[in-house]
Amino acid sequence: MDFWFSYIALASIYVLLGLSTNLLVGIAGIFSVSQAAVFGVGAYIVAFFLMNETMSFLPALAIAALCCIALNILVTLPALRVSGDYFVVTSFGIQLLATAVFTNWTDGTGGANGLPGIPPPDLAGKALESSGEVVSLCVAGMGLGCLIFWLVMRAPFGRLLRAIREDELAVAAAGKSVLRAKVSAAALAGAFAGTAGGLYATFLSFIDPSSFDLDSSILLLTMVVVGGARTLAGSILGPFLLLALPQILTLVDIPTTVAAAARQLIYGVLLIAFMLFRPQGLAGEKL
Amino acid sequence: MTAYLQASGVDVSFGGLKALNDCGFTVQQGKITCLVGPNGAGKTTIFNVITGFLRPGAGSVSFKGQTLDGWKPQAIVAAGIARTFQNLRLFVDLTAIDNVLASMPAQTGEEPVAAIFRPFHVASAQRHRRVEALAILNRVGLIERANDFTRNLSYGEQKLLTIARVLATGAELILLDEPASGLSAGALDGVMALLRRLQDDGKTLLVVEHNTRVVQQIADDVLFLHQGHLMAQGTPEAIVNDPALAEIYFGGTI
Ligand SMILES: Nc1ncnc2c1ncn2[C@@H]1O[C@H](COP(=O)(O)OP(=O)(O)O)[C@@H](O)[C@H]1O
Ligand SMILES: [Mg+2]
Repeated sequence: MDFWFSYIALASIYVLLGLSTNLLVGIAGIFSVSQAAVFGVGAYIVAFFLMNETMSFLPALAIAALCCIALNILVTLPALRVSGDYFVVTSFGIQLLATAVFTNWTDGTGGANGLPGIPPPDLAGKALESSGEVVSLCVAGMGLGCLIFWLVMRAPFGRLLRAIREDELAVAAAGKSVLRAKVSAAALAGAFAGTAGGLYATFLSFIDPSSFDLDSSILLLTMVVVGGARTLAGSILGPFLLLALPQILTLVDIPTTVAAAARQLIYGVLLIAFMLFRPQGLAGEKL
Repeated sequence: MTAYLQASGVDVSFGGLKALNDCGFTVQQGKITCLVGPNGAGKTTIFNVITGFLRPGAGSVSFKGQTLDGWKPQAIVAAGIARTFQNLRLFVDLTAIDNVLASMPAQTGEEPVAAIFRPFHVASAQRHRRVEALAILNRVGLIERANDFTRNLSYGEQKLLTIARVLATGAELILLDEPASGLSAGALDGVMALLRRLQDDGKTLLVVEHNTRVVQQIADDVLFLHQGHLMAQGTPEAIVNDPALAEIYFGGTI
């Protein structure tokens, strides 16, 4: 597929993931390092339904989104019980557990070899074969995600989440349920991550556990930090910039094995540099 | 006749320290009741108990004849009791009006489903709420600062905003934790006038206050707390002129 097409499709999918991570980490203040796990579950569910021809793309995507809503609520529930620092450790464990399942449950996920040959998405009975059509679908998904994020954040729900981030006790004193709001944020973040997973599986037609591991979760956090926490613009900028990085690296004449390591290195340096020198990211607010 | 607000036999311990020790009193509807006592007497702690932030080791609190024991803070706000914090706890990164709006009960669009599927309905409901919020800010004298970020408000304005925030909950019984401390003389008069206007609106106020001048001017009834126990209850004159209480209050016997 043409470079620009795949870049735009992939970046669109990562914008959905950026929105998900931003909602959870930036806005609700739930510091999760397991968003890639939820992303992966969405991808495997859609792959499963399409490969077995159980149903068409949109219902499969809807089921993936619903499952990821439930899953994300489940994995963030500890955050509502234990305090921030402890939750990072819990979330870390959840991510490792997910990677272990993705890698070892060979019957369901194809194990480390992954699942090849995932059919392209279909809409209204027609398979989207051309790359232009698939890219349009991903961009439409991103557009819908951005619209939802914008609507939610300008509604009283968005204000409630911002207030919670500042002072949970004061929110409780105003008669609001902090728990309910956080569960809602986790649910929405799950829907975004699951949808992104489904788009990712059909777009690439091949998935394996390496896309859904701890490195990916950290990449998502880096995107939010670089782009900027809590804003729509930040959630869009981060993925588009960081995904351009591997392509820029291919322009530099280095072996591919080194390039992968160099990419991780640069992500790490970016994460630290932004946290230290520009915590609000390019277009956001301080995390 | 059942009391409007009644606390009885409330005990709270922090480790070995008894912050409240068989604490009991009543508050009458429509009155301004001042809660006085030396630092560390347990005034903030009894507020925490009444509003559901702290479970007492013993004792109970009832409101209009109904027990509040074991209730969550949200349920207590819904029942009509709201409080301010001694250390304000405003949402300083939100505007003044957003602080008020964030404290208004049951709003459409406060969960994502309505926010996503009924955006126009949510927006029009918010326009109405903004009008109400402006009226509340006007009531406390902050209408000019409605769209300013709370961190840019002066300390006195921030204190007024905490009162606006409890008014936004619609509560009928309002607990104010040192609303007048740290204010200039001019601001103090403003707050006292505001508290009287709230009383005229039918609100009941329980106010922690140190300044005896303020107590004498606004209180209908005074509760004197010492070492977690109610030492005396009476009119401002009776309390302020009681030499034994003055000795505790100013003599530093803690
Ligand atoms: N969370 C807490 N942990 C330990 N001790 C506390 C706590 N809250 C209050 N105290 C103690 O309880 C006593 C009463 O405190 P408080 O109710 O804040 O007094 P005040 O009358 O000045 O508002 C004080 O001795 C205080 O140090
Ligand atoms: Mg106090």
